[in-house]
Amino acid sequence: MKLTEIELHNFRNYVDQTLKFSDGINVFLGENAQGKTNLLEAIYVLALTRSHRTNNEKELINWQSQTAQIKGRLQKRLGTVPIELDLGPKGKRAKVNHLEQAKLSTYIGQLNVILFAPEDLSIVKGAPQVRRRFMDMEFAQMSNRYLYNSTQYKKILKQRNRYLKDLHYKRQKDRVYLDVLSDQLSAYGAEIIYQRLQLLKKLEKFAQNVHSEISQGKEKLAFDYRTTVEADQLGSVELIYQSLLKHFAKIKDKEILRSTTLIGPQRDDLHFVINGKEVQSFGSQGQQRTTALSVKLAEIDLMKEQTDEYPILLLDDVLSELDDFRQTHLLTAIQDKVQTFLTTTSLSGVQQELLTNPRIFRISEGNVTMEK
Amino acid sequence: MQYPEAIAKLIDSYMKLPGIGSKTATRLAFYTIDMNEDDVKEFSKALVATKNDLHYCSICGNLTDEDPCEICRDKTRDQSTILVVEEPKDVMVMEKVQEYHGLYHVLHGVLSPIEGKGPEDLNISSLIKRLQKIKAVKEVIVATNATPEGEATAMYLSKLIKPAGIKVTRLAHGLSVGSDIEYADEVTLFKAVQGRTEI
Repeated sequence: MKLTEIELHNFRNYVDQTLKFSDGINVFLGENAQGKTNLLEAIYVLALTRSHRTNNEKELINWQSQTAQIKGRLQKRLGTVPIELDLGPKGKRAKVNHLEQAKLSTYIGQLNVILFAPEDLSIVKGAPQVRRRFMDMEFAQMSNRYLYNSTQYKKILKQRNRYLKDLHYKRQKDRVYLDVLSDQLSAYGAEIIYQRLQLLKKLEKFAQNVHSEISQGKEKLAFDYRTTVEADQLGSVELIYQSLLKHFAKIKDKEILRSTTLIGPQRDDLHFVINGKEVQSFGSQGQQRTTALSVKLAEIDLMKEQTDEYPILLLDDVLSELDDFRQTHLLTAIQDKVQTFLTTTSLSGVQQELLTNPRIFRISEGNVTMEK
Repeated sequence: MQYPEAIAKLIDSYMKLPGIGSKTATRLAFYTIDMNEDDVKEFSKALVATKNDLHYCSICGNLTDEDPCEICRDKTRDQSTILVVEEPKDVMVMEKVQEYHGLYHVLHGVLSPIEGKGPEDLNISSLIKRLQKIKAVKEVIVATNATPEGEATAMYLSKLIKPAGIKVTRLAHGLSVGSDIEYADEVTLFKAVQGRTEI
């Protein structure tokens, strides 16, 4: 999959901007605070309808305008598809091939992107919610069912948390309805946990290959998904569902006391293990970086396997974070396969011989000029 | 210049209706001035009548001008099934089908703690009392919407009613009639496969 062209209207500091991209590597070059990452963000928003930098959609719209628009042309295996996303005070509208999509869920997945930003190093050492967000964002792109299950789950979770609070403050007293909510939550939660495990197993295999190459066979990377559900109950959706139900029955009173749901996928975590040791607590800085890089590169392969198309890779200022050896690895892994967009303040720290025919866009105060 | 009080009041009243702002309200008010007197009287009577004559049926909760409502009074209807819906307008839709001849029960909403609607805020206790009083009921069909809240409400009702030995059923999910499979969204299609029937 390639993004051949993007058109921005009132997106952040870009009032009217059209850019034509190369199939290989595209470099956004410029000083700090000129708008490099805004361009990457535009591609990310076009793909996923939400930003990786902010939850406040108003920030994406130029302060002098009410609405913003991002249009893209995709080159897929079977032809070109124009896609469009409109942001406004009344929400988002998405179009594929000029047809408005009734649901955003049918739109997400048209353009698949993988973003690698310095923050992504925190996948390994950051808070559990970073890893949960990582799983949710990536798996939602690969599977419509995952996206559906997780949106339904979030809705029911909100209802249940509110009801627990109502019970806590004695505004409601019916426990049967709480059981119903637990049952519903377990059903969707079981689907999510099961799908996560399936996809993680595949991702683990790809990540192991990359990791063993970077570490020259000295290290073995493994994933460890931590959940309340017992290890021997993870074999099927039905087993996970039964286990969650059992746990919910046990902790009911505690949940009412705390006014919140205490188990389920929104509390689970993913741990990375190298040669039997947890990277998060015992790994060196270098091991943490290698792990993050392996997981990100593995995603490219997994996405290719799940959707039959290579995703687009967005690299936000990461080359400077990686040493020569890891840079070489990253750049050779993507060569000739994956269309890449990267931002950097200078090309001097980058091994230029690995950037084959890059298209360089120089960015200065929101003006973009293409270098010949 | 200000509008004379009568018009200003009328504009204000129109603005209380949903979807009507000051411009539309002004246009409607001036149109009303030009309407003939009988029509205006008829209109105002109809408005008052909705408030004075319409009640919720004490048995099923449906909108009615007489209590109990027409459907609850009709002894020729099948007394052994009750179809549970969210809103009075759902009763109208079901009646148009002319295929269902049983009784109704209107919940006036679905369970949704976020909107402050718990089990006690819906018309549920009267349904339970109704089932206890009338032993003839053999089946309760839950026809709430296919939203998470609608599903939760259906599950809740079945937990309450099933122990009494009454059959509780739920409307089927799946393809809408006359639609192409290729245009159905994946979740609907998945539900349709799950709920397939033997032919």
